[in-house]
Amino acid sequence: MSTNLMGIFQFEDEFISALRRLKESGFDGLTAMSPIPLHEADHILGFGKSPVRRFTLAGTLIGAASGFAMAVATAITFILPTSGRPIITIPPFLIISYEMTILFGVLFTLLGFHVVSGLPAWRDKIYHPASNVDRFTLVVECTDRENSKLAENIILESGAEEVSRVEGDR
Amino acid sequence: MADYIEPTYAEVNKDVLRSMMETGPKYWALLGTSISVAGICFFIPWFYQLEVGIGASGMNRSAVWGTYLSNFIFWIGLSHSGTLLSAVLHITNSSWRKAIYRSAEAMTLFSLVTAALFVMVHPGRVWFVHWTVPIPNQMDLWPNFRSPLMFDVMAITTYLTASSIFIYMGSVPDFAAVRDASTGLRRKLYTIFSFGWRGTAKEWHTLGWAYTFFAVLVIPLAVSVHSIVSWDFAMSLVPGLHHTVFAPYFVTGAIFSGTAGIVTVMFLLRKYMNFERYIREIHLVNLGKLLVLLSLIWTYINIMELFTTWFSGSSYELEALEWRLTGFYAPMYWEMILFCAVVPMLILFKKIRTSWKSMLIISILINIGMLSERFIIVATSQPRKFLPDAFGFYFPSIVEIAITIGSFAVFSTLFLIFVKWVPAVSLYEVKETLKPLLRTS
Repeated sequence: MSTNLMGIFQFEDEFISALRRLKESGFDGLTAMSPIPLHEADHILGFGKSPVRRFTLAGTLIGAASGFAMAVATAITFILPTSGRPIITIPPFLIISYEMTILFGVLFTLLGFHVVSGLPAWRDKIYHPASNVDRFTLVVECTDRENSKLAENIILESGAEEVSRVEGDR
Repeated sequence: MADYIEPTYAEVNKDVLRSMMETGPKYWALLGTSISVAGICFFIPWFYQLEVGIGASGMNRSAVWGTYLSNFIFWIGLSHSGTLLSAVLHITNSSWRKAIYRSAEAMTLFSLVTAALFVMVHPGRVWFVHWTVPIPNQMDLWPNFRSPLMFDVMAITTYLTASSIFIYMGSVPDFAAVRDASTGLRRKLYTIFSFGWRGTAKEWHTLGWAYTFFAVLVIPLAVSVHSIVSWDFAMSLVPGLHHTVFAPYFVTGAIFSGTAGIVTVMFLLRKYMNFERYIREIHLVNLGKLLVLLSLIWTYINIMELFTTWFSGSSYELEALEWRLTGFYAPMYWEMILFCAVVPMLILFKKIRTSWKSMLIISILINIGMLSERFIIVATSQPRKFLPDAFGFYFPSIVEIAITIGSFAVFSTLFLIFVKWVPAVSLYEVKETLKPLLRTS
């Protein structure tokens, strides 16, 4: 039966040090919460390029194609001849395509954010409100008692203000 | 620049959340006035116009465009600096943007809403506005995407959507801070608004990537929006409007007016929301420098417009130019030159650019100049096209003047509501600019 340990830190460098030591000691179930984005935490936890970029790319491509298709479809559905000019006119339709590229790019990026970050979170998860103010919170999943003792030692040695056992999803 | 004492992380939360949660009588008085003015000057005249028809405006046979359209351009322009500046400064990693970008983005959003209202007011029959959207209707009629007006519909819809998402996503971590600091209904609402944000490394990492993509997408969008608005005019073949320089002219004017708008909003937020520790002299000075640069570009484009008109040798163009420089609206033209090309040069003096009051006055004068510019473009071109027997004259009616005044109240009402619902200064981004919390330091 696994348990979760939560450590609260006042200082960023101590928090990062605890995170690094836990990761090096083989703890994989780590959640780091902070009031500001910490790029060092991303590196330790192994977050590289975000998959959000694939959503953005897909959105822009779909937007470009559908924008142009929409302009063409409306032009041929309601044919409006003007001085012998072509019904499907490329330059103005490219402007519609351009706008739709951006619109779909933004909407798909938003979708990507939700899919990748797992938000909105429908269930309550382990959280300490101070981590949105001025504290750095670390939650580590421990598989057994020995493991839990090791994690607790690392967190306390790194300089945590407090460590506690918590129930719930990480 | 040691003009302030750096706040702690907890103080940032306390100061910003206090501005949302503690509401004094001054705020209610201001909101009440804004709503009343919006009702009396904007909505009642608009309903009157809907009742009696578009004849209630000063528009006539040769002047089919009037103040509504010039206001539309003005408000679209004012919207430009917020999102655009925020996005450019985010991409270039300029940390000074962090305290001011939220209110600048809000300005974008509400200017756009105000501009969209003018799209409804201008054509008269607002109940047919859905004809501009490509949806099936009983007449089997589809919008003509070859028209710049349809480009406009697409561009503004996209801009409004993208700007709303941009400001919302940047606010999610701050909504979580409001959630944690509140109780009851407010807590429930902000739990929904914040999507259950906890500030995990995964969430920050994903938000960082998504936000950068939003910024990258929004920059070309903002440039395209005002270029497209300019094509509404430039593609019309009307003397005085049919210029290739119109797109950069409009985009520059938009950023210029928007930056001045940010200075005005910054002054008010600093003074009335007690953000002295966050909105500082460095913001004023940097925006001041930007205003000088934009003023110079704007002046250059104006000179180019005069030169190309003269160089064209077209009698129609020259007549339109002469009317603009010496006709009935000439005083307004020269007032525009004074406020937008001459007055901003005062910012070159350090004493001026570091004084909040002077910068407030200059920013307001710039926007008066820009409002005049938009009016002149509309009022001195359409009624004076080609042959003298087709010449007319345009002067706004009392309904149009009231609606123009009312639009400012609509904007301020939306902004006043905003500052009580969304932290006007970004909590987490301001914290990023503070000294990091390190034991070793």
